This record gives sequence, structure tokens and C-alpha cells, in this order.
Amino acid sequence: MDLEANRDLLVAALGRVPAGDRAALQTVYRLTSAKLFGVVLRILDERSEAEDVLQEVYLTVWRKAGDFDATRASPMTWLIAIARNRAIDRLRAGRITRRMEPIEAASEIADAAASAERVLADSETAARLGGCLDALAAHERTALRGAFFDGNTYEELARRMAVPLGTMKSWIRRAMIKLKACLEPKDP
Amino acid sequence: MSDAIDHSGGPPRDLPEDELLAAEYALGVVAGAEREKLARRVAVERGFAAMVAAWEERLAPWAGELDEAAPPPQVWERIAASLPQQPAERAGLWESLAFWRVFALAGVLAAACLAVVIYLDAARLGGEPLVAAIEAGGQRSFVATVDVKRGTIAVLPAAFTGDATRVPELWLIPPGGKPLPVGLVSASKPIVIAIPPGLIAQTASGATLAVSLEPPGGSPTGAPTGPVIGAGKLTAL
Repeated sequence: MDLEANRDLLVAALGRVPAGDRAALQTVYRLTSAKLFGVVLRILDERSEAEDVLQEVYLTVWRKAGDFDATRASPMTWLIAIARNRAIDRLRAGRITRRMEPIEAASEIADAAASAERVLADSETAARLGGCLDALAAHERTALRGAFFDGNTYEELARRMAVPLGTMKSWIRRAMIKLKACLEPKDP
Repeated sequence: MSDAIDHSGGPPRDLPEDELLAAEYALGVVAGAEREKLARRVAVERGFAAMVAAWEERLAPWAGELDEAAPPPQVWERIAASLPQQPAERAGLWESLAFWRVFALAGVLAAACLAVVIYLDAARLGGEPLVAAIEAGGQRSFVATVDVKRGTIAVLPAAFTGDATRVPELWLIPPGGKPLPVGLVSASKPIVIAIPPGLIAQTASGATLAVSLEPPGGSPTGAPTGPVIGAGKLTAL
């Protein structure tokens, strides 16, 4: 489903949720649940936990839709952030096995395949982010991927990539600084 | 931060510590007490929340890479079952449209009486009720009573004639803030709305309640799109 094309529909439905409109929440669910389930399932890697978290995500949307401001944020960004935060909280609560298989900066097969998809599937913004991620050092990009997609902490990433914790913090922070500079070059 | 280990050459310009903390929170790399502390900052510090939101905006397009996965139908069924019931309306006489048509004729005075009834009702329960007369140009259209204890707003039509194509929608405007949607109300009968949890703290003395006319189903944008037919400040009775 092309979520960008559905943006207006989604914004309108989100706008009706604070008034207690259940049909509006169902519209939001219909438009976004497959994407958010993908996000949550990737982090939790366990279907029944992911289903529980997805339920929490939409109950959070039900309660907090009044906080969403379409003039300031994209609805998908807002929803993805809720989904990631809920999934990460569940992961941190500790009943789930985290993704902990070792990863190496050099092995970026999945990454390369994803680059093509990125351009095909997504908007200009996604292509721009892709370009900026590609401009990072390989180890930085790999560490960010582990954090964003698998929900890993600094400690977990340090273990997965077999580097000291301080090194991992430095990699991630440096990667975020570069990413911002690349995405918003005109910023002072 | 330490620059001791950097394989990328060329020192990138630095960012303020808060901006980096916001990035770490948005990315999700911090855990435990540190994550909780940052979550609290997001809840109470506007500036910090905005930084986190900006990082979420930068990173979110990355999720486009992930395959979609259709959740099983029972997930929606569980969500629907967890939602509160439709805005509770009073049963019996309160439900009778004919009663309300007659009642509406009595207008402001009757609404004021009813406000007292609701006040007594709320007082009996130990709440501190707030009221607002929603009016414009001397014309009072609705009277709203907030039951703080129950977290509900009762909205009574006073001298308001419905419109075939549009519905009245109630908004809460915190001092200096923008209108936040509370719910749809009715031209013909009292409606008791459960205050959305996000609005409870702001539903306080000094906030303004306003009613605008919106398309059926309510404002499609989350902000008033139609004419505002009246407004009034919430005050303690």
C-alpha cells in the first residue's frame, strides 16, 4: 500500500479519533497496521508478543491522537515512533530474547539489497535518508541498523559488533551527528 | 563524547548534549533508568520533546525498508473490545427527544436549572464541578458542566438550532493554546462525553470551551473548520 498517497486519509481519520470516533480508529488501523506490525515484529521477533504490542500501539493512538499535529509531523512518523517505542519498552521488559547474533560491519548484504528497495518503495525523503545513510562509514551504518531495526541497546550493539561500549557510543553519536549534517546541511 | 576512536576522518561538527540524548532516545539505544529519565523529559519538556520528534522524523523513513506484515484479524477485535463504550448518554427521560424539544423551549433558564441538577449530582459525589456558558453575541447556545471526578463533560443545548448538514463539535482551548477536539455534541439532547485522557489535565478553570459547526463525523482536520458558534470560560461553580 502506498502510504504517502493515503496520507490525507490518514490525517483526517487521526483528526476524528480524539472525539471518540471508533470508525476513525479502524480506518487508521486499516491503513497502517501492516506497516506497524512489520516494525514491531522485526524488533520483537515473536508473533504473540508483537500482536500484544500492536494492540497497545492502537490503544495509545486512541488516547493520544489529540497530541498529533499534522502541521508539524507526518502521521506515519508519529505512528512508527509509537510502535518502535512500545516494542522497545516490551523488549526492555525482558521477556523476549533479543536479536543478538554477531554482526560485522563488513557483511552488508542485506543493506545493499535494501538500498534498491528504498528508492523503489519510498518517497523523496526516504531516498534522501538512504543517501545520507550510505554516506556513513560501514560500521556506523551497521550499528544504526541494529539499533533502529532490532531495537538493540548500546551494550547489545557493542557485544554484537565485538567492540568496547565506549567505542559503540562514539560510533552511534558520531553517526547521528553526520546524519543530521547530511539531512539538514544548512543548519548552523 | 570521546573522539578517541573514529575511523571516518574529518571531525564532524558537534551537537549539544541534549540533542544527542534526544537522538539516542529516538533511536532507542539507551535502556533502564536512563531511558525512563529521557521518557519523563519528553513528557514534560517541550523543547526536548521537539528534538526527539525531529529525530523520529529523520529516522522514520528508514522503516520503509521493512516488509509489511498483516496482523491476524483478532488483533483488531481485541482493540475494539478494549475501547471505551460510545460516549455515555443518560438513560430514560434524558434520552427522550420529545422531552428535550420541550425543554429547549425553556432555553437558558432551563439549562441553568439543569446545570444546578448536575452540580448537585457532582457535589454529592464530592467532585468540584466547573461550568461554562457557551455563547456569542449574548446568545447562549450550550451550557457545559465538567465533572472532574468522573472525567466527563455534560453539554446541554440551550438555544441552539441544529443545522441539517453540519454537527456541533466541542473544543477545549487551554489558556494561550489552540483548540483541542473534545467530541461531538447534540442540538437536541444533553450529551455526556468522557474527556479524552490527554485533555483531562487541561480541562481546568480558565480554559475555554467552544463549539463549532463541522461536517458529520466531526472536523476532518482535528482543528475547527467551520464557524465557531460560541465560547465560554470554565469556572468553578
